[in-house]
Amino acid sequence: MIALKEVRKEYLQPNGERLRVLENITFEIAEGMFSSLLGPSGCGKSTILNLIAKLDRHTSGDILVNGNKIGFVFQQPRLLNWRTVTDNVALPLERDNSDKRGRRELAVKYLDLVGLSGFENYYPLQLSGGMQQRVAIARALVIDPDILLMDEPFSGLDEFTARKLRQELIRIWRETGKTIVFVTHSISEAVFLSEQILIVSQKPATIFKRVTVDVPYPREYGDLRLFEIETSLTRDFLEMNSER
Amino acid sequence: MNTIHRILSIVSLVLAWLILSFVFSPTIVPGPFAVLQAMWENVRSGQAFYHLYKTLFRVGFGLVLTMALGIAFGTAMGLSRRAEVFLESWVMVGLTLPAIVYSIICLLWFGLNDFAAIVAIGASAFPAVGISIWQGIKGMDTQLVSMGNAFKLSKGAIIRKIIFPQLLPHILAAMRYALGICWKICTTVELIGMSSGVGFMLNYWFGLFSMSQVFAWTLLFLLVMFAIEYLLFKPVEKRLTKWRNDVPIPLSA
Repeated sequence: MIALKEVRKEYLQPNGERLRVLENITFEIAEGMFSSLLGPSGCGKSTILNLIAKLDRHTSGDILVNGNKIGFVFQQPRLLNWRTVTDNVALPLERDNSDKRGRRELAVKYLDLVGLSGFENYYPLQLSGGMQQRVAIARALVIDPDILLMDEPFSGLDEFTARKLRQELIRIWRETGKTIVFVTHSISEAVFLSEQILIVSQKPATIFKRVTVDVPYPREYGDLRLFEIETSLTRDFLEMNSER
Repeated sequence: MNTIHRILSIVSLVLAWLILSFVFSPTIVPGPFAVLQAMWENVRSGQAFYHLYKTLFRVGFGLVLTMALGIAFGTAMGLSRRAEVFLESWVMVGLTLPAIVYSIICLLWFGLNDFAAIVAIGASAFPAVGISIWQGIKGMDTQLVSMGNAFKLSKGAIIRKIIFPQLLPHILAAMRYALGICWKICTTVELIGMSSGVGFMLNYWFGLFSMSQVFAWTLLFLLVMFAIEYLLFKPVEKRLTKWRNDVPIPLSA
């Protein structure tokens, strides 16, 4: 479970002024849930992820995170180009003293899960952007994380590749039962993927609204129920922007 | 394909030399056979090995000093803004002064010995290495480092597995470049202040106006350089940058 209560985050700027990035962020995410943080670019969504991952410290409020193994997927694949795909996936395992063969076997297993069997010995630069992002997802899953944090992972891909990867992500999520927090600025992406959507407002960021998407999986693109939720979310966005 | 071109390029060089040797008198351009004969004599008498060994010894230790200083300066300048400001003028001075100045100063300070030669080589060649490493660190992908942090890798693991591999191509390139500079400075030092080494022998035969011996020592020098390039640097580089070699550069999209 992840619970944030009245979390504030301020940065000290070079001119001495305090910049408030997060204002009173409160939400809960249950175990095994797929949640999205949806908001405009640069509103502080990534900061929330960094706080959950304990990569950054909040100024005030409470953050409760059950589980300390966290897998991270970034907007860019961030692979080590000089390592093979398998060795890239095995990288997070290297801090434990497990044997090399065990690490490789586990990496190969997760490469298979993301649909990359047969590419084990390729180097990242030999793969397409979509395949590189699959490698990054396998690398995040290989540590068997309690929580999977994804920071706009598909926004750098073309729409067709992104659609395919979203469907695969849902399949992987249902196979593994991970708690996923997914950051995006795309309304349709958030609606297609999530059980719960937390709408984040402009800086300083607050949770403007919480929306549940009550459509069973696997979902289809073009489903009218999804489309209706998308339309009402768009209205929420317009309302949110007019308030400021 | 590549091998054919390589052989062709060497054959054409030798041919050009042969033609020039027919046009000019042997005291100006001696032919390949006269030069090879002079070289063979040097090898048989053991002179070639002795002087080559002396030069290689100085170049080798000079290169080690160059790389050590260059990597230390470059890393400090790449990682710390303060070090960058402080050391920049040092590197600029080092880069601007002609190598002959270092050679003369070192020979006067330390005497006519190997130590002076090695210090002179290190002092004149390290700024170029430092700049290369400095730029390498500045151009490094910091997003990969934050990826390492996100996966809770230790500081040591991040340096070994993420930072160092990105610097390695810069270090290798700097080393090849530095080797060339070290050779040149070494022969200069040997020419002005040593009584052994390839540079000394070049000067010696220059004094006796023996063009075929000057050519013989130059050729020996070239052959050793080629051997180091193709037997050491190329294979090592190819191995270390395998991940890049397999991918063609798409010049036309």
